Amino acid sequence: MSTELSRRSALKGVLFGAAALSTMRVMPVLAQARGGTLNVGLTYDIDTLNVYSTGFLGDVQAAVVEGLLAPDGHAQYVPVLALEVPTLANGGIKLVDGGGMTITYKLRPGVKWHDGAPFTSADVKFTWEAVKNPKFIAESKDGTQDIESIDTPDELTVICHYKSVVPNFASTLFTFGILPKHALEGKDLNTDSYNEKPLGTGPFVVREFKRGQYVLTERNPDYWRKDDKGVALPYIDRMVFKIITDSNTLITQLKSGELDLVVQTPYNQAKQVENVAGLELIKGSLLSWQHLDFNFRKKSLQDLAVRKAIAHAINRQTLVRAQGGFPEPIKSPVVPVFSLYDPNTPEYAFDVGLANKLLDDAGYKKAGDGIREKDGEKLSYRFVIQAGRADDELAQQVMIAQLKAVGIEAKPDNKTGVAYREARYKGDYDLNYGRWITSADPVYSVFYGTKGANNGQGYSNPQLDAVLSKMETTLEPGERKKYASEMQKILADDLPSIPLTTNVAVIAKRTKLKNLVPNPTNMTNFVDTSRWYLEG
Amino acid sequence: MNIGYIIRRLLGAIPLLLGISLVLFGVIHLAPGGPLDVYADNPSVTPQAMEQIRTAYGLDRPVPVQYFLWLKSMLVGDWGYSIRTGRPVLSEIVDRVRPTLELGGLSLVVSLALALPLGIISAARRHSALDHVFTFLSFAGISVPVFWLALLLQLLFSISLGWLPSAGYQTIGGGSVLDKLAHIAMPTAVLSLATVASWSRYVRSGMVDVLNQDYIRTAYAKGRRESGVILYHALRNAMIPAVTIIALDLASVISGAVITETVFAWPGIGRLFIESMDGRDYPTLMGLMMLGSAAVIAANIAADLAYASLDPRIRYE
Repeated sequence: MSTELSRRSALKGVLFGAAALSTMRVMPVLAQARGGTLNVGLTYDIDTLNVYSTGFLGDVQAAVVEGLLAPDGHAQYVPVLALEVPTLANGGIKLVDGGGMTITYKLRPGVKWHDGAPFTSADVKFTWEAVKNPKFIAESKDGTQDIESIDTPDELTVICHYKSVVPNFASTLFTFGILPKHALEGKDLNTDSYNEKPLGTGPFVVREFKRGQYVLTERNPDYWRKDDKGVALPYIDRMVFKIITDSNTLITQLKSGELDLVVQTPYNQAKQVENVAGLELIKGSLLSWQHLDFNFRKKSLQDLAVRKAIAHAINRQTLVRAQGGFPEPIKSPVVPVFSLYDPNTPEYAFDVGLANKLLDDAGYKKAGDGIREKDGEKLSYRFVIQAGRADDELAQQVMIAQLKAVGIEAKPDNKTGVAYREARYKGDYDLNYGRWITSADPVYSVFYGTKGANNGQGYSNPQLDAVLSKMETTLEPGERKKYASEMQKILADDLPSIPLTTNVAVIAKRTKLKNLVPNPTNMTNFVDTSRWYLEG
Repeated sequence: MNIGYIIRRLLGAIPLLLGISLVLFGVIHLAPGGPLDVYADNPSVTPQAMEQIRTAYGLDRPVPVQYFLWLKSMLVGDWGYSIRTGRPVLSEIVDRVRPTLELGGLSLVVSLALALPLGIISAARRHSALDHVFTFLSFAGISVPVFWLALLLQLLFSISLGWLPSAGYQTIGGGSVLDKLAHIAMPTAVLSLATVASWSRYVRSGMVDVLNQDYIRTAYAKGRRESGVILYHALRNAMIPAVTIIALDLASVISGAVITETVFAWPGIGRLFIESMDGRDYPTLMGLMMLGSAAVIAANIAADLAYASLDPRIRYE
């Protein structure tokens, strides 16, 4: 199970129908029911409840610990412990001569930690120092190195001096969560009991964590957020996160009424819940996509005609069906949940005739064994995916068959774990099928830039590099969108990688649970639990 | 019972455990992957960050050096820290021991209570209709996949009838004894079925062998009733082969039952093992495997001692 879980940097995306969206957004006229217990099924065994060191998405943590900002259902940042999202326009961000920038956060007054101590600017500064501390083994220290220093002129003002312009500042450090200085100063964060019972400012308080069993959280009576009528949130009294790593048991518990919510139902199990009374499925795509990468060290794959032919040879609908029908076909690595997605990106339709014609025209002739070749090079490729991922293995078989139909041979050479990662990063493959998971502020140069850390393909396009560099250093939203469109156009024309399908989260929930707005990001669906309520 | 013999066996276990630890350490490091596998899809974990984490855990050192460092701290009772959770390995294990022993212990008792009479009756009435029924059931019991049986039980008792909780160790916040029994019932049934099936076969075949011996005929000739012959004369000798099997199964109680624990969300050692395996949590894995090895060795010694007490002809000097 755990190999299928996205790591926390995995920002999970949500796409749901406009209709569903509007009904969820409209506040019901009647007052929300208070109280009740919500039983949530977690598919993984929690390692630690520290947001900075857990290897999983912090579902429980999101209900307990808050950051300065949080991404909403559209992966747009909204203020939480800060009063507003700093931008150039509102003066929260100021560019500094010499390339740096200064970000000023005004903090929300009157916020208390679960133990009653006040939340202040000192906690924010402490969080930066604690995560940056080399002794602390963190899953992510993203963003700590970008900051030069932090000033706290008063209890509710934080001024962060950045070394450079970092447009994606919000997707890291202070969004993950703020650590309480008064409880953690001088402690060893690797082993402190905070990791079992995190002290936060969020709507729910951790009462009990039984390893391998459950986390019991209860309503924070002093939570700062109120609803539109001034009623103190949260509505729900207790949330219990039950650890159930077996997906069959998860479904059984949904059916028997022992669970009310499962946020990542496996594709092959979700159908079982579809027609059960009192249960419903919500589909949300993750900020993650499946793609086929070419290795440019292979001579025939340097040929654009071959890459295009392969794109036309693959039927995305078949791939979607192979994954239970839940994912969506895509044409751009910018998944459609992002506002940066450009719907005008050129598309390669499934067309075997066209694929064959492209290859014929480029001079690749079929030999006796049905495999095309040119200048002594056969179109026969080593096809690497991560072994043990059932969905990927199935998709690989589908693509092998589809490529065979146009005279291209693909031979599986699947690798496990670190071996797969190494092959992928170092380009030890001809074709590679897999997924990338991005943050809410994705940086695409790591994948497609000439020097990109994840570019194992040996792909280099100076024109694209220039666009990526402009896109990733500007803070101006309009400019970013323009460069993003240019990038998507270049990627579609030059086709270093074929974007195939999105990855989706299938949320199974009891229909009486209301106001759940699926969240696309690594802050998980539990980032805004205070407004959830149980009807009737 | 010969105390000297026991001490000698225990001393002999030390080099054995050392050898096992060396092999295990080598094997888990030979297995592809490592604790950093989990970062495979995560572009934001840079190669430099990976290197830092590797250094922090000491994974950048040669495997033999890692082994000796592990052995050194193990010898002074330091089991190390879990890579997954950052907690001491010993606490990780201790947390899981109680549920494991409860489930394993209960299913052991149930298995013995059923396997002994079933095996004895089958042997005493061999080739009868009853024997054939038991034989059939045994093979069915051995063949039924655990996860499938578990699913069926959950469907029946949790969804259709609503009598038992489908999974978990207890009701959230702690429960009464009755609550715990309700939670343990299905996992115990699943875990016991295969054991009852196989043990009753061993008891039966041991019994059949013994019942053909001359001294049994003599006992009958003396005019003893059948129940007396079987329980007094035959059972002790018939148990010797069965004891070997039962002792080894005893050892596996401490290693937990991976599938049963996973299906029933039972917080036992078996699940900890799988999670540690997935995460390549080397310190926890070593701790668990050493514990398991020690249990096997101890169970073997116990089996040898049991032979001696069952059969006075067997003596250890």
